Amino acid sequence: MVRIIVRLCKVIVAILLTELFATACIRDEAPNAEADIIGCMLDQTILNRQPVIENDRIILMLRKGTDLTSLAPEFTLTPGATIDPQSGTHLDFTSPQYYTVTSQDGVWKKTYRVEATTSALSTLKAGLEHVRLSSDGKYHVFYELDDNGNPLFDWATANAGYSLTGAGSQYTDFPTRQDPDGYIGSCARLETMRTGSLAERLNKPLAAGNLFLGQFVTLNALMDPLSATRFGVPFDHVPTSFRGYFRYKAGDVFYKLDKNAPDKLSPVNGRIDEFALYAVFYESTPEKPTLDGNNTLDINNPYILATAEVTDTRSTDRWKEFDIPFVFRPGKTVDPVKLANGNYNLAIVCASSADGAQFEGAPGSVLMVDELVIEFKEDED
Amino acid sequence: MNRMLCFLIAAVLLAFNVSAQKDNTPGIVKSSLMGLEYDVRAGLSIGGATPIPLPVEIREIEGFNPSINLSISGNVKKWFGADKKWGLIVGLKLESKAMETRARVKNYGMEIIGDGGERLKGNWTGHVKTKFRETMVTIPVMAALNVSHRVALRLGPYVSFVTGKDFSGHVFDGYLRENNPTGNKVVFEGDSQASYDFSEDLATFQTGIQAGVDWKAFKHLIVYGDLSWGLNNIFKSDFNTITFNMYPVYVNFGFGYAF
Repeated sequence: MVRIIVRLCKVIVAILLTELFATACIRDEAPNAEADIIGCMLDQTILNRQPVIENDRIILMLRKGTDLTSLAPEFTLTPGATIDPQSGTHLDFTSPQYYTVTSQDGVWKKTYRVEATTSALSTLKAGLEHVRLSSDGKYHVFYELDDNGNPLFDWATANAGYSLTGAGSQYTDFPTRQDPDGYIGSCARLETMRTGSLAERLNKPLAAGNLFLGQFVTLNALMDPLSATRFGVPFDHVPTSFRGYFRYKAGDVFYKLDKNAPDKLSPVNGRIDEFALYAVFYESTPEKPTLDGNNTLDINNPYILATAEVTDTRSTDRWKEFDIPFVFRPGKTVDPVKLANGNYNLAIVCASSADGAQFEGAPGSVLMVDELVIEFKEDED
Repeated sequence: MNRMLCFLIAAVLLAFNVSAQKDNTPGIVKSSLMGLEYDVRAGLSIGGATPIPLPVEIREIEGFNPSINLSISGNVKKWFGADKKWGLIVGLKLESKAMETRARVKNYGMEIIGDGGERLKGNWTGHVKTKFRETMVTIPVMAALNVSHRVALRLGPYVSFVTGKDFSGHVFDGYLRENNPTGNKVVFEGDSQASYDFSEDLATFQTGIQAGVDWKAFKHLIVYGDLSWGLNNIFKSDFNTITFNMYPVYVNFGFGYAF
């Protein structure tokens, strides 16, 4: 009897309180605080790739020969947000343009750098001499300059994903960072690290340092980490070799993901960690614009034309030179029309643990890379 | 604490029994002549810890479960004057306050701190499940007014010393903006849940106002109801992760035995 009364009381109170909160107490929705560009439109006939929209950067990859001096991209924004300069304004994109988005509530502002490029990468020599700090000031972002000192491209890393583990507060805490002790000048230092208790709860106990050409998309970083690394940028030459310098030290104990272990890792006796260092030349299609962590070296991937992979992944005491020719897969040839139209992509992928994306590797494995160069055939015309 | 409650309930039931058998002992008669009365009570509390008013970040309360909260108390009453109209009550109450809620929030400021000091701060849009349970020793000091020979009203402040603390839960099915609403966006869906535990950040002392009514159903049996309204945040003052204050508001009702 008492139990029934208690239960009845609980139900009545629950209903009363829920109704009370649901009706009387829920206040009017506040205006949106987000200030995102969620879409970017430009004449489809001049776009070589769909616009890449990052959190504070948009990359417009346009067809060769497009006039950059007067483009008028149109943006869709978080509902209620405003943008300055206005969407559809004609601007000169021979250098990057900056747009500021203000949230509906007027409190938050975000500035996007919008870059337009017509040429695919024309040279690819990476000294890894230049870094800036991420917008939150925590980690390094590598970028390269051309011979005239103009920005050429940004390297991508998964540092933004590591940032979500809460384990890093300054650049030295992050898996990928610049190191002054390069082969020439500075280099990139990639280290496999544990991710800490927050990421362990999400079964992501380990992060390899990585550095690649392409984009890292944080949106998917938790749900589908393999798809968060989008490898490759447009490249309109036929690559012949991938060369540079590396040094590697494998960490002491190799672990694999173990969802039942307290720290979500279990050691694999006898297995020695290996790094990944390779380049892939592939066809980009509207359906499959980039390769990602699921398929970069997949032997059955029909879009891949050629790869150049460092296969001797043993630890080295000192800097070691590598010069690997691109090997075309059987039956794969370059279509000159597609090449001229900029339909091919090139990816360079470096990682301190080759299977880091599956949360396998040895914490403490360090890969350093420097002076990365893609050699290619000079245009025949 | 639960064991302690059980023990006290047993003690009260025993007191009922013993007292029922031999009516007013000489000591109690003497006390009564001095205007002092004693009672013991056992009851249930239902309510919740809630921000007042609800912050705009909370868009929907999707579920609310007022857990069973037992309380047990002893009170001393001192009546004044010949008519015994006004009095003062001092009590000692062992109680628990708990609830479970599920809410949908938008742009809810949060910070999760891991065991190794990892800090993930940001703004969450999605669902939040929260479990709150505290056990405490409460001392109410109330003015009492006899409105009839059966009904008395009570009102006064209380202080609580919190002995057991739990404030934990998880966020799920939504997205986080890192650092602030313009930061990197990351989706949590399916099995991806970020759990949090702010138990250690709950304050040890609580104060509030308690108002109640007693109805003397029989000579020794009291039926009572109380509303206790917390006046300070359930969290320590230096805790800023939850950006709004939460106050415990509970209704407590039950039976008492007046000696």
